[in-house]
Amino acid sequence: MSVTVEGEVIRLSGRCGAEDAEALLAALHDGRNRAVDLSGLQRLHLAVLQILLAARPSIRGTPDSTFLAAHLNRLLSEKSDT
Amino acid sequence: MDEMLDQFLIEGRELVAQASDDFARLLRYPQDAAAIDSAFRAIHTLKGSVAIFALAPAERVLHAAEDVLERARKGSTRLDRETVTALVACLDAVDRWIDRIEAGGKLGGDADRSAAELVRLLPGNDADAPSEAEQPPEWLTSLMTREAATLSGASETLVAFRYVPDADCFFRGDDPFAIVAGIPDLITLAILPGGGGWPELQAIEPFTCFSVLEGVSAAALDQVKAAFRLVPDQVMLHPLAAPAEQDPDNGREKAAATLRVAAARVDALGERLSELIVAVNAFAPLAAQADRVDAALAASIRAAQVDLEQATSDLHRGVASVRLVPLAPTLRRLPRLVREIAASLQKQVEFSMAGEGLEVDKEIADGLFEPLLHLVRNALDHGIEAAERRQELGKPAVGRLALSAGREGDAVIVTLSDDGSGIDPARICEVAVARGLLSAEDAEALSESAALRLIFAPGFSTAGAVTDVSGRGVGMDAVLSAVERMRGHIDIDSRLGSGTRFRMRLPVNALTTRLLVVAVGTDRYGVALDQVVETVRIDSRSLMPVGEGLACVLRGRTVPVLSLAALLGLADVPAPATRLLVTRSGGERVALKVDGFAERIDALVRPPDGMLAAVRGVSGSTVTSDGGVLLVLNLPELAA
Repeated sequence: MSVTVEGEVIRLSGRCGAEDAEALLAALHDGRNRAVDLSGLQRLHLAVLQILLAARPSIRGTPDSTFLAAHLNRLLSEKSDT
Repeated sequence: MDEMLDQFLIEGRELVAQASDDFARLLRYPQDAAAIDSAFRAIHTLKGSVAIFALAPAERVLHAAEDVLERARKGSTRLDRETVTALVACLDAVDRWIDRIEAGGKLGGDADRSAAELVRLLPGNDADAPSEAEQPPEWLTSLMTREAATLSGASETLVAFRYVPDADCFFRGDDPFAIVAGIPDLITLAILPGGGGWPELQAIEPFTCFSVLEGVSAAALDQVKAAFRLVPDQVMLHPLAAPAEQDPDNGREKAAATLRVAAARVDALGERLSELIVAVNAFAPLAAQADRVDAALAASIRAAQVDLEQATSDLHRGVASVRLVPLAPTLRRLPRLVREIAASLQKQVEFSMAGEGLEVDKEIADGLFEPLLHLVRNALDHGIEAAERRQELGKPAVGRLALSAGREGDAVIVTLSDDGSGIDPARICEVAVARGLLSAEDAEALSESAALRLIFAPGFSTAGAVTDVSGRGVGMDAVLSAVERMRGHIDIDSRLGSGTRFRMRLPVNALTTRLLVVAVGTDRYGVALDQVVETVRIDSRSLMPVGEGLACVLRGRTVPVLSLAALLGLADVPAPATRLLVTRSGGERVALKVDGFAERIDALVRPPDGMLAAVRGVSGSTVTSDGGVLLVLNLPELAA
């Protein structure tokens, strides 16, 4: 399971594929103030990422993949264009 | 952001200067391949720089100019004077826009219209102003604005992309984020909401793609294309011109060999160096002291002192040369300003510049522009006549204004000459008397050259009508004080009916000043050596009373003698021999009586501040080797 919920923290780890989008959406829906922990994340599908971009939860942890570590921080900290 | 803008202003100006040099050459030799090539490169690079700042009108104009040059380069069209003139107008407009950006402003609402107008004047663009295809797409403009900070540091050619994945791409197994991750040398990446804003959580369809991916890669266009090979229909690519295209042969070495350093850091280095010079000076008394104990030791100390002095003076020359900058960036705005001013006065002028590659101290380069612009304005307004008048006089309709810069020993000579009406000394005297600047008798006694110098008197104007170009008073007094602030002087040479020449003489190195230390009573003062024409010692009996003052004859000419002690409010002590310091004030030689000449030193003169700033005749202060403070006098101001 790539999306796990531990109390008020949603953990994304390993390879997050398109099929994880639904689980993340549900977890965020159930707990609007839940933070998302990216430690141990190796891959992130756009289907999942775009939910993070739309929902803007608080983010913690650094992904394992260097590409994700390099770009996610900036993508998720920028102000929403809306 | 500001640092990036500063960089753009520096580089942008350099590129404008380069292109305008090339255009100036092309005006004379429209087929000069090297000039076409160089202009093309400058315009191309400039276009890349303005793209980063989203200056759309400037980008359009430069794009059109680049097209014209590109065709000329390939030989498909030939440049003619008319086209080059249109190119010059384009460059002038861009230069003006850069000025406006520097002033913190926007381009203004008329920029789009004037851009269209300028582009229309270029051959091959007259049918329709810029076509839609030529303009950067809107997404690119906003991407450039958004990523300006990241992109400014990039030196290679970049590729911008916008990837709009199909809404159902997830079903097909696409992961646009993974595709983008496969782009080599990705510099920036943004993921934007496709529909203008991110949807609310409850409205999200988890398997619908509603994102747009935009970014910039430093990889070659082919490599970026390859990364998108599976989704080419969903991607737009746009190559971005390299911000700085270098000579292919030695460009890399050149880029590495040049270093931009804040002037303040070089100045700080210079100040430390002056302290070192002061410290080295302490060896001389030390050797003298050692002499009393051990002559051999004293000799060794002196030898060490000579070595140290040699090394510090080499170092000093090195630091001074770091501050040397070419005059070109200072002067590069002049051709455009001459065109603008001449146009506003409806006069025709051909302006030429020579020697702008000359290197001078940064302080001089910076300080020269204002006085020079005053002189140029003045020449165009009052010197050069209107075309009809010139023809009546049998002169060519187009006036000539020439600026030249050259080295003469340790001085820079900057000359501005025009072939206009010249200055009438009689008329100058008349006006000066009318304005109460001097009495009619005094005016009568003035030499022609002294009469000409009256134009430097504050609040002087000879123009019958006040024009908005020069205004009243013309600010010629400001020219004089600006030149004197740089420890230079200015001469006028004018022939009625055939023109005027202003000649400015400025020191090449402003970092340290060679000072002559003079004694007045028990006090010591520094005097810049370049203000000293000569020092003489005469018998006090050869001083003649003239009017209320004194004079003496030097080299067959009568020179007024002033007492430096009296000028400084000190007691004048008579002595059998009189030491005179001859300087020039108001174009005339004036001798100042001092009590003694001491050593000559190299010193860093600090501009006067605090109370000193208010004291007339003081140009600054310096610290001597014994830690004392030496006031440095401005002789022309004191003697005026």
